[in-house]
Amino acid sequence: MKSLSKANLPQFLEALNQSSQVYVPVVVDGTSRFIPWEQGAELVLDKNSNIPPKYLFFPQTEDLYGYKIYKQSGERTELPSAMEPFVVFGIRPCDVYSLEVLDDIFLTKGYEDVHYKQKREQGLLISLGCLEPEATCFCESWGLNPLNAPTADIMMLDGGDQFLLKAQTEAGQKVIDSQAGLLEEFQGEPPVGKPCTLTVETKGLMERLQPMFEHAVWDEISRKCINCGTCTYLCPTCYCFDVLNKTRGEEGIKYRCYDSCMYPEYTLMAGGHNPRPTKKERVRQRFLHKFQYIPERYEGQIGCVGCGRCIVKCPVNLDISRVITRLWEVEADV
Amino acid sequence: MNQQTARMREIARELLEKKEVEMVIGWEKGTFFYNSTPVFITKPEDADKLIWDDYCAVNFAKLLMDYRYLDGKVAVFVKGCDARGVNRLIQDLVIKREKIYLIGMPCPGMKDAKIAAKLGQEKEAEVPLEGKCLYCTHPNPVIYDVLIGDEVPVEIREDRFARIKEFEEKSSDEKAQFWASQYDRCIRCYACRNVCPACNCRSCVFDQNQDWLERAVDRSGNQFYGLVRAFHVAGRCIECGECERACPMGIPIMLLKHKISKDINELFGEYEAGLDPEGDLPLGMYKADDPDEFM
Repeated sequence: MKSLSKANLPQFLEALNQSSQVYVPVVVDGTSRFIPWEQGAELVLDKNSNIPPKYLFFPQTEDLYGYKIYKQSGERTELPSAMEPFVVFGIRPCDVYSLEVLDDIFLTKGYEDVHYKQKREQGLLISLGCLEPEATCFCESWGLNPLNAPTADIMMLDGGDQFLLKAQTEAGQKVIDSQAGLLEEFQGEPPVGKPCTLTVETKGLMERLQPMFEHAVWDEISRKCINCGTCTYLCPTCYCFDVLNKTRGEEGIKYRCYDSCMYPEYTLMAGGHNPRPTKKERVRQRFLHKFQYIPERYEGQIGCVGCGRCIVKCPVNLDISRVITRLWEVEADV
Repeated sequence: MNQQTARMREIARELLEKKEVEMVIGWEKGTFFYNSTPVFITKPEDADKLIWDDYCAVNFAKLLMDYRYLDGKVAVFVKGCDARGVNRLIQDLVIKREKIYLIGMPCPGMKDAKIAAKLGQEKEAEVPLEGKCLYCTHPNPVIYDVLIGDEVPVEIREDRFARIKEFEEKSSDEKAQFWASQYDRCIRCYACRNVCPACNCRSCVFDQNQDWLERAVDRSGNQFYGLVRAFHVAGRCIECGECERACPMGIPIMLLKHKISKDINELFGEYEAGLDPEGDLPLGMYKADDPDEFM
């Protein structure tokens, strides 16, 4: 394990920034998110970002390809792919894990999403463990470790006046080696973290939910939902998108954009039929997708990483942890 | 338990026992001390879930829209802003007055849950009021069937147009830059629209296959969204501040709403929406002597 004096952090980031764009968590107009690092940036390292770093790999709006239309014919034009190596500094273990969930979604089952894949291959993750999880954090309930993200390239812990760094991949080791001048060997004991105070029972949840599609509890749970997209847009594992055209004259761009199962339009079919006509069906979809469909399709994978963003930002406190608790409480039969 | 809470439970239980209403909508305690969240009571024995505390900020007038086709009545607890929201729905012919039973809650102002979350329970005494409660002009319900407790004295802590007067001093460029940076962080979750009692259209222009507004989240699209919504609720906005409270990105949406209210006051005379379920709307009627400076 190596140590990096906090006083040397700007130098460390500047050195990294020479070869790859470094993204760091910073407050922009009251909202924390990962943006390109620049000298003097005030990093927010005491708590997780409001906007998950997911968008560095899967942006809310992303151009896919261009096209030209001439009356009855047309042609497709490739957009310049400007994907160069980048570093995400300070990503939390829950958000690292969310990328593993997205990997399953975008890269397995016989189809690879090239746009996601490119970014995933270019992005190096320097994760910061959480010594003191927030009151809304419950990653441990999903079996995750707030102090360690096994798939991060470098794992980092706050050791008071220094950061403790450990390379976990070859790429991570290269970074450590290249910055040897700023790092020292660390011999002491790494800091001990506090556990999450919010806990839910997740063992067997998928099996529990399998027969509950028609359960009356969905009506009860969904009543206060206002069907906005806050929870889905701030979720690090939600991945639904819509593919759309932006046509201007004879030219256009095919792009994709986050979509949300909370919106009636999401399932509206040509002809006007909507298989999810009310908030009950939509709220049920959100939770069953996370707790049942993803674990079923991706053999035991989880659809929620317990980051708590939806708990913090829901305007009506429709709390995912309380929903899970409620799903265990009710009688299983309809 | 405070007196209001006890009385709330008593009234709710009685209404449900006597089958005068099918449902009672109120607040229950949520996840943390700073969360009080909507609850829907249909059984008399569940009335004890109801609470009244410093964090009942959610205006659930809008939630009544889900129950407008119920056979029976729905009872709902209303603060000043909730009551104006209900008037909004009645005046817009969304719900019928005879289908709802209103239990008035004179409101001393609610505390800011976001700040409470940061300060923690030990420092709860330092938690200030919600921004929307500072400029509230009607803390007492303007319409109700029964009132719990006595009306509170009206104490306007902040002139609702104070921020506007300051803002009007800025140059056009400064204003444009300000709004560009504010709406640049909009994620188009539509929480502001979905929580708004004035946004009660059966079908919203923003949900119609992107014919009017593309889904791409960019500067022009986000501003188009913000502006269209602001103008669509002009003269009908009850200034409950729910849009700004609900916004996960902290966009100062009420600044837009207050500017429009101020302009309406100046152009068409003093008006506050949602005080009366009857009457004409300043932008929903025509008078021969309407100002026409723009002609």
